[in-house]
Amino acid sequence: MRELLSRTLVGLIASVTFLWAAPAAAQQYNGKELVKATLMADVSSIQPGQRFRLGVLYRIEPGWHIYWKYPGDSGIPTKIEWQLPQGFTIRDLQWPLPLREKEPGDLEVFAYTSEVLLFAEVEAPATLPPGPVTIQAKSDWLVCQSLCVPGRAQLSFTLNSGANSASDSAKIFENYASKVPKDLINPIGFSRIGKNLEIEIPWAPNDASLDFFPDPPADAVIGHVVRDGNKLTLAIDTETKPISRMDGVLVVVSSGGNRQGYEVNGRSTVTAFHTGASTSAISLGGILQALGFAMLGGLILNVMPCVLPVISLKIFGFVSEAGERPEKAFWLSMAFSLGIISCFAVLAAIVILLRAAGAQVGWGFQFQDYRFIAFISCLVFAFALNLFGVYELSVSAQATQGLAKLASGQGYGGAFFQGVFATILATPCTAPFLGTASAFAFAQPGWATFLIFLFIGLGMALPYLLLAVNPKWLRYLPKPGGWMLRLKQCMGFLLAGTLLWLVWILGQMRGVDAIVRLGALLLLIAILAWIKGSFWTPVSSWRSRVLAATSMLCVLLLAAGAYGFVTKPSRLVWQQFSQAKLDNALASGRPVFVDFTADWCITCKTNERFAIDTSKVRQEFSKRNVVMLKADWTKGDPEITEILKQHGRAGVPMYLVYPGGGKDTQPVLLPELITSQTVLDALNKT
Amino acid sequence: MIKTLLITCGLLAATAGLSLAEMEVGKPAPNFTLPDTNGKARSLADFKGKFVVLEWYQPDCPFVGKHYKSGNMQSLQKTYTAKGVVWLSIDSSAPGEEGNYPAEKLNQIASNDGAARTALLLDPDGKVGRIYGAKTTPDMYIIDPNGTLVYEGAIDNKRSTDLADVKTATNYVKTALDAVMTGKTVPTTATRPYGCSVKYASN
Repeated sequence: MRELLSRTLVGLIASVTFLWAAPAAAQQYNGKELVKATLMADVSSIQPGQRFRLGVLYRIEPGWHIYWKYPGDSGIPTKIEWQLPQGFTIRDLQWPLPLREKEPGDLEVFAYTSEVLLFAEVEAPATLPPGPVTIQAKSDWLVCQSLCVPGRAQLSFTLNSGANSASDSAKIFENYASKVPKDLINPIGFSRIGKNLEIEIPWAPNDASLDFFPDPPADAVIGHVVRDGNKLTLAIDTETKPISRMDGVLVVVSSGGNRQGYEVNGRSTVTAFHTGASTSAISLGGILQALGFAMLGGLILNVMPCVLPVISLKIFGFVSEAGERPEKAFWLSMAFSLGIISCFAVLAAIVILLRAAGAQVGWGFQFQDYRFIAFISCLVFAFALNLFGVYELSVSAQATQGLAKLASGQGYGGAFFQGVFATILATPCTAPFLGTASAFAFAQPGWATFLIFLFIGLGMALPYLLLAVNPKWLRYLPKPGGWMLRLKQCMGFLLAGTLLWLVWILGQMRGVDAIVRLGALLLLIAILAWIKGSFWTPVSSWRSRVLAATSMLCVLLLAAGAYGFVTKPSRLVWQQFSQAKLDNALASGRPVFVDFTADWCITCKTNERFAIDTSKVRQEFSKRNVVMLKADWTKGDPEITEILKQHGRAGVPMYLVYPGGGKDTQPVLLPELITSQTVLDALNKT
Repeated sequence: MIKTLLITCGLLAATAGLSLAEMEVGKPAPNFTLPDTNGKARSLADFKGKFVVLEWYQPDCPFVGKHYKSGNMQSLQKTYTAKGVVWLSIDSSAPGEEGNYPAEKLNQIASNDGAARTALLLDPDGKVGRIYGAKTTPDMYIIDPNGTLVYEGAIDNKRSTDLADVKTATNYVKTALDAVMTGKTVPTTATRPYGCSVKYASN
């Protein structure tokens, strides 16, 4: 009872003294109050269990600034210590987007000028004693111009208890709440390259400029963000724990100068695009691992159906050619292996040259580039189809004959060319793997590509080298048979898995639409591959081949047409539908056309393309100054559902035409399938 | 094959070489020569064979004030200069900026404060401050007798202007000096400095 009494008394005194808010204990500097701090809430009274917001408004003298949560090179963060009555819970402090301020000596700070509200969400306890509630907060700040003055205030504020009512400050809260960074929805990529942390924002709009305000761990020392298009780089000078990502705020500045912050924190989706040895810090271990895998990959090539049967034949050949001198068999197989390896060196050179040529015309082969991901996806898919046996690859007969001539020679030269020959003959089986490896190698530096290919070659040559040393080991070689075909098909699933990973990356970068587009492209590839495999094989008649070529062409044309239809931008300017907009437009006496549509509704899209977005309708619409409203039901907006129901429809498409003539005009309801004429007729029904 | 390996090694060496050029703990501290408040030229090279502390300083900054009003900085200066450490405070404030004073005025402030530093150096064009990347006042650097940087960053871990925080803070300069002077490794070699920005001349 006593406590209640004293609390009420304190509350009363507080409310009388401070009325609705208490001004800060003034901190004077040359007769000026540099920062005026005021404690406030977005409600004037609270009920038990109610959520509301509590904040400190700082009014800052012109030319001076106070600091954000990460102050930058100098300064200290503004601090608020809440002193709440028992039972109240308060969440994290919300920081509106600050400004990046430059100071001489290449120093930069993150600061607020003129005015800012730092606020937090509060929840009142489930039971609240009657009478006013006094809330207190202590705030410390550093206010700087070119010189700095620390400031401090003990603030107090009283809330009535009772029915909820908005306070005069609610608008201030709304204003600053809109400046608090939003949650990051689209993922961003972090990669650590030596001392630098690189941030990739693949989804950034083309005309926007990007920035990142870091909030590094307390024990880290960092440099300044360097901006280069969609890539931001931050130097990490000191870290206690290795830093592979960083909290902070991503700032997207539109071409119009609007700044939007996105909170990057532990909950944000961050995809790190590591591309192996190339872009992550190059370590010796990483290189050795990659080379080990490359060699293993080369070794596996030997069990492919076109390779395995050859091995024992070759070895027998060398042994018989060597005759009485077993060491000659070894040197012959060395020459043979060299032939294999040089093929791979040539392949590596081609990849490196192609990449250099691509770079010349501005193609970046990087895993951060969605086009590169799409390109690799298509290759991997095509190769997987090959492994499943949808179509076969073959080496042209003329090339085979030319090579056979070269390889027919005896001695070391002959053995060398036999190695080249064997590698090329094996391509129908090895191409899916080598092609995939080449595609991935595009994203690697030249020397890494070269080494990796050499080691694939070495892996493929390994059995020859070993067996030439001791031909008796031939009995350990698995016998060729039907299992090789099954193995090849299994490898197809491996590639399909790789594809899944690539699609995931693409989706992270560009969203669902990109996945669907890639899917369509893969479908196209599947159809083309099937046509090739069925009607254009080495044994097909020319007639069958002509048929195959023609149908491939038709499929391509159809696909191009479909693509054009789907992606053609509308030439009509739609406004997003709302009841208020409709009412306004009607009140102004203008005719109105409302399109109830959804992204997944094919009838809607067809109508829009062929009946609405036509030159006749466009002309008529602009002549009559028709207001065009689009009601998007893609996500089942309940307001739109209600309007559909009012007109006796359960879904989209639905078209309402208000011919104009005032607020009470009744709309004409068009049928679900429309033509341009239907639309024009409806407009003429006045 | 050997060639590619050589190229690889060359690339790795080049990356290592690049980082050599930057100020970093464990690397040689760049030499400089600046006049002190008594008109005497002081070179870092003069103090080879001794531990050297560099303290970025300007008297009007409240963060500097925290460590001088509490007597913390003077006590550090006394303790370590008595052990043979050279303590150089450096004022990089540009003419017309806060903390840029004539030498006599700075000497007067020093005697009022009871400062026990070896010398207070004047760097009004901010050249040395920029070479060292000094960002704030105070910003501390410790150099060992071989001329190697062993610590850079904040004076302690309480980032405030509150005098009372000095007592409870972990003083990084003290821990680093105590460790390195007894032949131990410095536990924390680099931290984020805090304070007012160094008042460099705008260029």
